[in-house]
Amino acid sequence: MKRINDYVAGMFADIPDSPEKDSIVQELVMNLEEKVADLMEQGKSEEDAVNKALVDLGDVSEIKNSMGSSDRRPRQKKTVNYTNRMWFSIWASALIIGLFLFMNFYYSPHRIWFVYPTFAVLWWPLTSVFSWLNHKN
Amino acid sequence: MISSDIIRGHLDAIILRLIIEKDRYGYEISKEIGERTKNTFEIKEATLYAVFQRLEKNEYIVSYSGQITHGRKRKYYKITEQGRAFYDEKIGEWEETKRIIDLLMEGKDEKN
Repeated sequence: MKRINDYVAGMFADIPDSPEKDSIVQELVMNLEEKVADLMEQGKSEEDAVNKALVDLGDVSEIKNSMGSSDRRPRQKKTVNYTNRMWFSIWASALIIGLFLFMNFYYSPHRIWFVYPTFAVLWWPLTSVFSWLNHKN
Repeated sequence: MISSDIIRGHLDAIILRLIIEKDRYGYEISKEIGERTKNTFEIKEATLYAVFQRLEKNEYIVSYSGQITHGRKRKYYKITEQGRAFYDEKIGEWEETKRIIDLLMEGKDEKN
């Protein structure tokens, strides 16, 4: 009975193929087919019997959950290294500010303008220092 | 149709009990549950399978393929020693629970 097979396979469509999945689908399909055969013996039409069996399958989320735990590798958790991120921003902004300083004093020593870009750049290390502090607590 | 949490909490023991009586296959168990309760309780196939999975993982039951019947190779489940022990434990717990609920919910006195 293709309809049952398609239905059950569809329920597990989001799970990667594996021998475990195949055997689960196969067993569920078999049980449902037996149910259909039984219901038809009791006088139901095939259409009705299949419908009833599919409704009686119920919720497969519990099966899926316990499938995943056994052999699926846990998804790599994306962790942010706040300390590294902070140091990077400090070093990088120091270099940028250094560049402005150099340009300012080398090319236009009589006009102090490097503070403007410095303020703009400082937001970056400030942000990362505070998110580092936040994370530490 | 009753589908209470209390029953759900004891499905493992209920199914173990059926497997203790004799080796059974999937649909046989859901049919048996329907028949014994005169269809006041029905187990969903997915729920039943989740229970099998759990029981097998805990080594309370083992499965084997039976002979081909009606063109199908049925998967039978068989109780293990651990399964039996777990069942006995659950029965003890259930007796105790029943006693407490009777006592508290219906005010039944133990002496009567």
